Amino acid sequence: MTALPITRLSMREAVSRRLVLIGVLVSAAFLALFGFGFHALYTNVSSQGTEDRAELALGATIITVLGLYIVRFLAAMLAIFLASGAVATDVDSGVLHAVLARPLSRTSWLAQRCLAFVLVTVGYLALMTTAVLGIAAGIAGYAPLDPVRALAVLALELVVLLSVGLLASTTWSGVTSGVVTFCLFGVAWLAGIIELVGDQLRNQTMQLIGIGTSLLIPSDALWRGASFYLQPPSALLLTRQAASGNPFAGSAPPTTSLIVWSVGYAVSLLLVAAWRLRHRDL
Amino acid sequence: MTSASAAIRARGLHKRYGRHVVLDSLDLDVEPGQVVGLLGPNGAGKTTTVKILTGLVHATAGRAELFGVPVADPTARRRLGYLPEHFRFPEWLTGIELLRFHARLAGRDPGREAGRLLGLLALVGLEGRGDDRIRGYSKGMTQRLGLAQSLVGEPDLVLLDEPTSAMDPLGRREIRELIRGLATDGVAVLLNSHLLSEVELVCDHVVVIDRGVVLRSGTLDEVRSAAVEVRIELDRVDQRTLDLVAGHGRIVASDDHEVLLGVDDPDVVPRLAVDLVQSGARIRALVPLRRSLEDAFVGLVGREESG
Repeated sequence: MTALPITRLSMREAVSRRLVLIGVLVSAAFLALFGFGFHALYTNVSSQGTEDRAELALGATIITVLGLYIVRFLAAMLAIFLASGAVATDVDSGVLHAVLARPLSRTSWLAQRCLAFVLVTVGYLALMTTAVLGIAAGIAGYAPLDPVRALAVLALELVVLLSVGLLASTTWSGVTSGVVTFCLFGVAWLAGIIELVGDQLRNQTMQLIGIGTSLLIPSDALWRGASFYLQPPSALLLTRQAASGNPFAGSAPPTTSLIVWSVGYAVSLLLVAAWRLRHRDL
Repeated sequence: MTSASAAIRARGLHKRYGRHVVLDSLDLDVEPGQVVGLLGPNGAGKTTTVKILTGLVHATAGRAELFGVPVADPTARRRLGYLPEHFRFPEWLTGIELLRFHARLAGRDPGREAGRLLGLLALVGLEGRGDDRIRGYSKGMTQRLGLAQSLVGEPDLVLLDEPTSAMDPLGRREIRELIRGLATDGVAVLLNSHLLSEVELVCDHVVVIDRGVVLRSGTLDEVRSAAVEVRIELDRVDQRTLDLVAGHGRIVASDDHEVLLGVDDPDVVPRLAVDLVQSGARIRALVPLRRSLEDAFVGLVGREESG
C-alpha cells in the first residue's frame, strides 16, 4: 500500500513518542480513579438511603460530566502538543528537507499530517469517552442523551485546536506555538465561565465577552454544546431549573451557527497554514 | 530540444533575504552523466542554490528546471535524489523503514522492492544494519543511510550536499566510487563539498561561486589550469626582459635568473616563448606550473576578496 505515507508515518510518530506513552499511563490511571471514585460515591450515597433519586442522578451527572471534561482536556492537550510541533520541529531539525524534495506538494504533506493528528486525537477521545460512559453506565445506569452527537461536536473542537496549532507552527517555533495555542484554549475556557456567570446575572457585557471570545476561538463553546448531549434527559431538566448550576456543562445544544462558524474557522486556518507553508523558504 | 534533456538548467537565479543578496544571476548547467562539483567559500550560496533546485527555497528571480520541468512543480522532483546538508531522519525508524518510507514518497511499492532496498543498504556499506533504529547509528552511518535514501527512487539526478562530511577516509573512498558508478550509469550528480581534494578526485566539471556569482566553470582541467603560473628560467634577467614578460601577465617574483609569471590564459606561454627568443633572451626553462584545484580555488576566491 502506497497511499498516504505521511499520514501513516505521522500516526506512528505520534504514538511512538514517550510523552504519549506517559499520556496513556495517565489516562489509564485517570479511568481507574474515576471508576473507583464514582463507585465509592454512588454506593455511599445509595447506602445512606437517599430517597431523592433525582438528586442521586444529578450527582452522577456532575461527576460523569466532570470526568468527560477531563477527558476532553487531555485530548485537547494531545491535539495542541501534536499540532504545535508539527511543522516547526520538522523544519528546524531538517527532517522535512529530504521529505519535501520528493515529488510531494507541501499542501499534501500538511493535509496528510493533519489527517493523522485528527485520527489520533479523535481516536483517543472516542476511546476515553466510551470508557468513562461505560463505567458510569455500569455503576449507575448512566444514559446520556446522545453520546455519538457529543463525540462529533468534541471532534470538531479538536479539529479547531489542531488548526490553530498547525497555523502557529508554520510561523513560530514548536514551544511558542504550543504556548500560544494553549493560551487561546485557556482564554476560551475563562470566557466561557464569564459568559455563564453573565447569563446568571443577566450581565450583557459579560455575555458579549463570552460570545466575542467564542468567535476568536470556539473551543469552549463547542465543549459546552457537546456536554449537553452527554447528560441524561432528567439531569438536563434539573440543571435548567437550577439555572445552569454546573460550570463545566452546558444546558443547551450547540447552535447551527456555532457549528458552521467552527467548521469555517478550522478550514480557513488550515488554508492559511497551507498558504504560509507553501510560500516559506525551508 | 537539448534544454529538456539537461538534468539541471538554471538561468539568472537571484535570491535575496531582505537586503542581503545570496545569489546574483547564477547560471548552472548539469548534463546527464556529469559529476559537477559546486565549490565556494562559506556563505557563497552553494546550499541556497541546491535548495532552490529542490524546491525548498523560492528564487527571488530567475528560472530553474530539472529535466525541462520548472522546479516549482513537484513533478520536477520525480527523477531527483537529494541528500540535504543538515539531514536528519526520524530516529525511531529503522534504516530499512526509512528507505521504505522514501520509496513510497517516490511513488514506488516498497513491498515489491524489498530486495532492491536491501541492495541499496549493502551498496552504502550498511549491510545487516537495516533493522537497527537510526537512533543507534553513528554520524557516518546516518550519512550513508542518507545517501541510500537519495538513491531510493532510482534517480537520474542526485544532489549531494556535503555527502561525506562525517565519514572516515575509507568511507569517503567508497562513496567516491559509488558516485563514479552512478555517472557511468548516466546519472547526473551535483556535489556540494568543502573537500577540494575529494572534488578533484570525483568530479569532471567544477563550478566555483562566491557571493552568489559564478567565478569560473568548466571541466576540472579548465578550472585548474585557468590562471596558471609560469616559471621562466633565463641566462640573465634584466629590466628589458622584465618589461617584456610583464606584458604577458603579472610578475609574482623574480631574481637574476628566474621570473615567476602569473597568467590568466595558458595559451600565452607559446607567444611568450617566441617574444623572448626574438628579444635575444636565452631560455633555460619555461614551465607552466600545474596547480591543484585548491590553488586554483584560493586564486579565484582570494583575488575576488582582495578585489
